Amino acid sequence: MEFTNILNSYVAVFGTLIVSLLICMFLPGIERKFIHARIQQRIGPPVSSPGLMAPIKFFFKESITPNSPMPEVYNKLPLIGLIVITLIFLILMPQFYFLGVFASILTIIGLLKIEEIIYIFMGSLSKSVMSMNMPFPDDVKGAKQYKQATKSFIEDISANRAFKLIAFGSIPIYLALFVPVVKSSSLLLSDIIIYQQINGPILFSFAGVIGAIVFFIGYMILLNEYPFAILKTKADVIEGPYMEYAANSRAFVVISRAFLMFTLATLFSVLFLGLPPNIFNWSFLVNIFIVILFPVLMGVFSAFSPVFTYKQFYPFVIGTSLLGVLAIIGAFF
Amino acid sequence: MMNKNNNSKRQIIETEISMGPVHSAALEPYRVRLFVEDELVKDAEITVGVNHRGVERIMEGLPVEKANSLTEKICGICSNVHLWNSVLVAEKGLEIDVPERAEYIRLIMAELERIHSHLLYLAHGNEVLGHETFSMRLFYIRETVMGLLSMVGGNRVQYGCSVIGGVRPRCDLDEMKIQKILEGLDSIEKRVMEFADRFISDPIIMSRITGVGVLTKQDAIKLAASGPTLRATGVELDLRREMKQYDPFEFNVITQDDGDVKSNLLIRVLEIPESIKIIKQAIKDLPKGPLTNRNWEMIDTDIIKNYVEAPRGKLYHSYALEDGRIRGSVIRTPSMSNIGAMQHACIGTHITEAQLAIVQCDPCFTCTDRAIKIQYTPLSKGEK
Repeated sequence: MEFTNILNSYVAVFGTLIVSLLICMFLPGIERKFIHARIQQRIGPPVSSPGLMAPIKFFFKESITPNSPMPEVYNKLPLIGLIVITLIFLILMPQFYFLGVFASILTIIGLLKIEEIIYIFMGSLSKSVMSMNMPFPDDVKGAKQYKQATKSFIEDISANRAFKLIAFGSIPIYLALFVPVVKSSSLLLSDIIIYQQINGPILFSFAGVIGAIVFFIGYMILLNEYPFAILKTKADVIEGPYMEYAANSRAFVVISRAFLMFTLATLFSVLFLGLPPNIFNWSFLVNIFIVILFPVLMGVFSAFSPVFTYKQFYPFVIGTSLLGVLAIIGAFF
Repeated sequence: MMNKNNNSKRQIIETEISMGPVHSAALEPYRVRLFVEDELVKDAEITVGVNHRGVERIMEGLPVEKANSLTEKICGICSNVHLWNSVLVAEKGLEIDVPERAEYIRLIMAELERIHSHLLYLAHGNEVLGHETFSMRLFYIRETVMGLLSMVGGNRVQYGCSVIGGVRPRCDLDEMKIQKILEGLDSIEKRVMEFADRFISDPIIMSRITGVGVLTKQDAIKLAASGPTLRATGVELDLRREMKQYDPFEFNVITQDDGDVKSNLLIRVLEIPESIKIIKQAIKDLPKGPLTNRNWEMIDTDIIKNYVEAPRGKLYHSYALEDGRIRGSVIRTPSMSNIGAMQHACIGTHITEAQLAIVQCDPCFTCTDRAIKIQYTPLSKGEK
């Protein structure tokens, strides 16, 4: 009997993980094809193209050594990012709640921070040839001379920006994570779920609604989606730390982003609806619905806004954070 | 606003960021060096020249008709105006009277091209702002004018409309074409104005473009800016006012006062209805008569110069004719004279907005790259 239980748990964990990975591959396509393209009155790419076919294509491309002071480390970062996101996803499953404090909000925040810091490392380790300076002083006739100026790569600026974003931009999502904590008076995911099984989903409370809005904005910021694509937008002169990735590494970049979309939406389901991901439970369909709903809403918002610069970004984040604080205060009552 | 006229040599610049000439954030091959302090641009340098093809060199010694058709390849956006100006140079030197109907058709093509260029600019501007939806919808509006150009000229990019002495017979406007043009223009005007209303009323867009990349009137004049970039600073200078081809038509020269991205975007939005107004007048008064004057003789001339108002500003063509062949051709595109303005507009902006400050001047670097200076030395007798 015990063996059957253990086997069931293994099947549930691996089954949920594999199904989730398969579904997440279609999320970028759903966002781009059914939302962006429809709003922009164009056909758009095939739904499987951005998330599924792109990484498959990248896996078969020839790998190049990136222009980086530590190319091996740089190339491994997307894989590390994917592992971190997978860990977050695993913690959300009921089969891992026995870990106690390691299956808590604090662990999730810690892992999300690691995921964000990886982005800084990517920026600081990427030295794209496209923004390379001359190996000698640029003192041709008529050239502007600032000999004391340090020559910097565009990705360095992106890394600095990622640092600012970690310090500031991710505040809303972390505030939103604490709404269920206050409601259930526990940091443990298991307690948050039990609380919701007894009292109903947190989403259907005043604090829950505001917390959900703040969570969604934080979700967009964490995914660097328009209009919060300040780190890597093509509209800017900064293309970002992904510039040098090719082949396998580029494939992991694409998969990581898609799986982060899935994982954050699942985190929402766990914290605000009390529905952990489990392939053997019908509630998994609700998880999938939320997972698809988030990119759809994100696509609508991003299609109708220009990219924010810090001038628009700071006031917006401050406003959203205040809303998050309001949600936490509301959760006490 | 920071003082842009500080002696830049005395400043302590912390960082230099170089981008291009090939970079995925740039649509065209050009190199930008941004000298920044804490993400604020203190100085900028734009270098072009990597896409150089030397059209003037290729034109050297070619028969004038052949060389004229080559000028159309200079730009993929304003191909017609290059051909028109090159043909005007020959007509000026050879003192050819162009039939009125041909003049009107040329002008209609030029204004259609201006609308297409401005819509492309607006779409690209929105793309740089990160507003993909507006960008796509503007490209969609532009398709109508592209269709009209294709209908008249037989091609979406190179229409081959002007020839020495007139226009090609296939570019003649019959009733069916005129009807389609009028319908198309009404549709464009309506949709552009709807876009303008939506654009101006969006507070986020306005906060992104107001006060960004400011170019003062004095700086614009000093840096020899031209076209809408100059007019966006409040200078009422439109070469169309001085061109005899535009004499019969009534239109307003649009100006804005702020010289920032907002002014540059708005001026091009507002110039579209003016172009439509000119085309409608031209169609209404389209004279009957021949399309081409073939009654002219080839003579040798000294250097002949001509300017026209291209969509981006003042376009200059000049060459001499010897035995029906081109000598000493020089072409100056408007973006060449606007480079100084682009560099200056970057100063004081946040690094995030530097690209926007450059794009607001509507650069076309690949056209600019094709320009070189050829020393004209008349051939001695018998020399080939």
